[in-house]
Amino acid sequence: MQGFALWAVGSDRPGMIAGLSGAVASVGGNLSDCSMTILSGQFAMVMIITGPDALDADGIERAVAPAVAALGLTVEVRAIELDRPPEARSVPHVVSVYGADRPGIVHAITAALARAGANVTDLETRVVGAPEAPVYTMMLEVSLPVDVVLDDLRAELEARAEELGVDVSIHAADSDVL
Amino acid sequence: MTVRTVLELPDRSLKTLTRPVGTIGATERRLAADLLETMAVSPACVGLAANQLGVHLRAFCVDVTGHRKADSCHGPFVLFDPVVLEARAPVMMREGCMSVPDLTGDVSRSSEVVVRGTTPEGRQLTVEANAFEARAVLHEIDHLDGFLFLDRVAHAHGVHRRRRYT
Repeated sequence: MQGFALWAVGSDRPGMIAGLSGAVASVGGNLSDCSMTILSGQFAMVMIITGPDALDADGIERAVAPAVAALGLTVEVRAIELDRPPEARSVPHVVSVYGADRPGIVHAITAALARAGANVTDLETRVVGAPEAPVYTMMLEVSLPVDVVLDDLRAELEARAEELGVDVSIHAADSDVL
Repeated sequence: MTVRTVLELPDRSLKTLTRPVGTIGATERRLAADLLETMAVSPACVGLAANQLGVHLRAFCVDVTGHRKADSCHGPFVLFDPVVLEARAPVMMREGCMSVPDLTGDVSRSSEVVVRGTTPEGRQLTVEANAFEARAVLHEIDHLDGFLFLDRVAHAHGVHRRRRYT
C-alpha cells in the first residue's frame, strides 16, 4: 500500500498543525501515524498520509504550499511504501544515558545497540544544566532480539559509557496488560 | 546543624555506591541533622540521600508533611542502613530530584513499602509507608545504590523539562 511522508520544520508558533492538516484534508489526504515535537524552539513534525489513488506527493505539496509560506515552514513530501515485513520476536527495553555533554555519545551507544541487533524504536535527548557544565540525557526505547543476552549487552554499553564518561542503564519496558 | 550544598548532575558523587554505616555515633547524628536541615530549607524538597551531599554513607531523610499526594506521613525522619522488606502495588507517577533540577521523569514505583533501618538514636525502626511517602523513600534508597530517576524512566518520552515560571 502506498502512502506519503510529510515532514515539516520551522520556528514554532501557534497554528502549525492546523494549517498543515487542513491543507492535507482539502485534497482527500487522511492522516495516519503522526509525531510532532519542539526541538530547541523548532517545530518538527512527521505525518504519514494515505488517500485516494489520484493523490500524489506533488498534489500534497501544492495543497500545503500556502500554509507553508504563511507559517514559515520547510516541508518535504515523499511517496512511501506502507506495507511492512513481519518483525522478528523482540522484547522492548528502555536505555537511559546521561552525564556531562560531549560529542559522540549518541553514536557510541547506538552503534553498540546496532551491533547487538537491537532496533531503536524511539529516542529523545535533552541538554540541560548550566552552560559551563551542560548535562546530556538520552532515553531510548529499543526492540531487543530474544536471543540477546542482556547482561552481555549491559556490559558492552557500560564499557562504551565509561569511555565517554557518562552513565548508562537498561531495563525491560513496563508492559502490564490489564 | 549545617545546610550543605546539594550536588547536581554530572557530579560523580551521585553515582558512587554508599557504604553501610553500622554503629551510630556523633558524626552520623551530625549527618542526620544536616540532611534534615538541608531538606527543610530546600523548596519543595521531600527527601535527601547522603550522597547528594557528597557523603557516601547509607543514610537518607524524608518528610512529606503537608504534601497533597501523601497518605501515610511519618513526619521528618532519618534512616541509616535502610533495608526494603516489602514493596508492592506499583504506580506510575512523574517525579523530580534536587540533583536533576531541570528534568522530571515518569517512573513506576511501589506505592506500599515496608522499610527497616536505624534511627539517629541508634534504634531499629520499621516504617510502613504508602502513596507519596513510599515513593519518596524508594527514590532516596535508589540514590544510595547510585540510581537516579533517569535510570527508572518508563519510556523514551518519559523525561520532561521542568517548567519554571517567573
